[in-house]
Amino acid sequence: MEFHTSKWLEAHLERNAGLKTLPRNLILGDIFGDGDYRLILVDVDFGQDLKANLKVYRGTGLVANQPLPVLPSSLISFYNDLTEPYLPVVGVSCDTDFLIYKNNKPFYKFSVPSFPLTTTESNVWQRLPHVTDESDYKILLEKLQSVSFSTLSSRSQKLLSVPLNNIKEEIDKYSGEEPSIHPSITCSTTLRKNSEDDIAVSCAVIGTENGYIFILDPLTFTVLHKAVSANIKSSPFILQTSGLYDVEFRILVICRENHVCVIRNGWTEGKILFRTANAIIDAVHLSVDKSLVVATAGKNLSCYSKKGNKMWTVKTIHEITCLCLLSLKSSNTYLVGVGMRNGAIHLFQGRHIVDCISAPDTPSALLFGQMGQEEHVLIIITIAGALNFKILKRTANFNLESQETSGPVVENRPLPLPKRSKLFVEQVMREKQNACDIHQRFQQDLIKMRLTAARAMVHLKPDENAAGNEKELVKLSARVTGLGPTFTLILNVENMSNEKPLLGLSAILHCKTSLYKLSSYVIKKMETKVLEINEPIKGDNSDKNNLIRVFVIKKDGNQPVITASINMPDTDFLDIL
Amino acid sequence: MGIFQKLVSFLGINKKEVNILVVGLNNSGKSTIVNHFKDGENKTHEIVPTVGFHIEKFENKNLSFTAFDMSGHGRYRDLWEHYYEDCHGIIFVIDSTDTFRLIVVKDELDTLLQHPHIRNKKIPLLFFANKIDCPNALSSVKIAASLGLERIMDKPWHISCSNAITGHGLHEGVEWLTQEVRQIVATKKY
Repeated sequence: MEFHTSKWLEAHLERNAGLKTLPRNLILGDIFGDGDYRLILVDVDFGQDLKANLKVYRGTGLVANQPLPVLPSSLISFYNDLTEPYLPVVGVSCDTDFLIYKNNKPFYKFSVPSFPLTTTESNVWQRLPHVTDESDYKILLEKLQSVSFSTLSSRSQKLLSVPLNNIKEEIDKYSGEEPSIHPSITCSTTLRKNSEDDIAVSCAVIGTENGYIFILDPLTFTVLHKAVSANIKSSPFILQTSGLYDVEFRILVICRENHVCVIRNGWTEGKILFRTANAIIDAVHLSVDKSLVVATAGKNLSCYSKKGNKMWTVKTIHEITCLCLLSLKSSNTYLVGVGMRNGAIHLFQGRHIVDCISAPDTPSALLFGQMGQEEHVLIIITIAGALNFKILKRTANFNLESQETSGPVVENRPLPLPKRSKLFVEQVMREKQNACDIHQRFQQDLIKMRLTAARAMVHLKPDENAAGNEKELVKLSARVTGLGPTFTLILNVENMSNEKPLLGLSAILHCKTSLYKLSSYVIKKMETKVLEINEPIKGDNSDKNNLIRVFVIKKDGNQPVITASINMPDTDFLDIL
Repeated sequence: MGIFQKLVSFLGINKKEVNILVVGLNNSGKSTIVNHFKDGENKTHEIVPTVGFHIEKFENKNLSFTAFDMSGHGRYRDLWEHYYEDCHGIIFVIDSTDTFRLIVVKDELDTLLQHPHIRNKKIPLLFFANKIDCPNALSSVKIAASLGLERIMDKPWHISCSNAITGHGLHEGVEWLTQEVRQIVATKKY
């Protein structure tokens, strides 16, 4: 098994950070213009009354925290001008207002232009302040109910939910105000104006509840372009852009009604690109091939082409909670991070999983980008409120090449067959005609080869002269005692067999006579009545030590039963003495 | 420095050339440290992020140092290993205020120590816990602990707090390095 080391460094994990952050509510930006990228996020307090705070993290520490008027829907950061120092602004979509912060201070506020009421609704509101009778209220409210709820203004929507006895107070709240529809902002994103550089002016693009998309001027924050996302009711909740505003751009509007619309330059009404069967959870646009990766309910991750054709769908192991784009510009790699229930985060390159990361628990928002001085940081905020930073190792390699081939790609290339030569054709003809003969001859040769192998094996077997003889089950060991120059050699022949007696054994000892003088060179009768036979041999050493070979032989055998080589001990020190 | 030593160094006897590698993450202050050892007129006032590497020369106690001031930017860190083979000492600069990236420092240090050209060589390692004057700087003890420096058994190492802008702590560290390099060069020769 391949040794797996993580490609990620666990930089920081704060389990009880208590953050409640939704997707698209966290960004990274050099908001103080010092090259040190901060993490900016919206922390929502789901307590009694919903509250939200805009928090700024520098490294692992919280450096700023300011309350927001209402619950924001999304957070973006962009450069609105290129005056030194380069300071990006932070745009927070709060209800009907788009708040812009610069240098972490409120800078500008854009309010979504109002839309006129339907005639029925405006008629009702003209009459409402003048009625006092409860039955009249009922009639008017019924009139309001006849209008589609989503096209009503927010005040009418609220009025319909108020109990009848409180209705007078509710109406009095709005006295003197002209009723109009102020759609709230549901999503926002940025669109580069005229340059693809890292630091370049971008326009803010905001989408509203009633399906309108506004492109704002970066400097004056006035509406540059206004378009409706589709000819049917659609409420956008994610916007993705590509291209440049001044040249050519494309805005993908992902709507809660499970369709995705596209808006191009000059269009005042978008077109539906595709629809999905299940509810869309999150979507990420890949600028490389202009495809859109969409996560839908039911553990589906799909990819749609620029033209809206579905390219692939994969089932994930758990329900998807959020997506994020991991762009590694240095290696020109774009991965999609998929956060799932149970805290698994899978990184997809195309349809293949290239890496698996685990978060402390289910991630609620993911973000990848430069943080502080480090370029490749993955920020994970979990549902339980943990804040986790993971740094991608410099040496990380996603083995994208090997992944490419492992996929179930249909091989269209034909096999590399060699040309049909004359020789080959003749051989085939011969084989066809004499199939039987060829087979028989082959079998014959095979049997012959096996016989030769068996013979060679048999021939080799008796040559075995290791310390143990398996056939005879004899063991021979030797022990040398004494310091020299006279040694005692004790030979020990052991019968390992339980059934066979060892009879008629004798031993021959062989050594260099110039080195050793043995008391006897042949031991004639090695008796095996007693299991151990010790035969002391006196050796006299005068020169360097050497081997003494022992051959144990049977009376009628022409091969030794067992042999041994004995290394004699060193006697050099005797010379010194 | 005695008169004799001055004479010796003037004549160029006993002078040894050593290569020192200056590594560390980007924005840790490597170039500022190297800049500090340069002569008065060669000093630059504006330190910009290093691209690739710079070679600077300076002297300390008869040793002529050639400092390879490597870029610490992620995409240039691959260059470091090409200079491991013939370096006599390594200066590893750490930004003590950057607690977030301490794990990256550790990763880079481990990669350095595992490199075949470093692993079996006795190279002195000098760590500068730089930017020690900043309010949220970690102490050198904490840095040494979080980098696991106590695991380095086969190489002499030393950590010293520094402030590259004022030059505080730099000389103390380089004195140590000079001594170590001198010892190693001497033992190699004989």
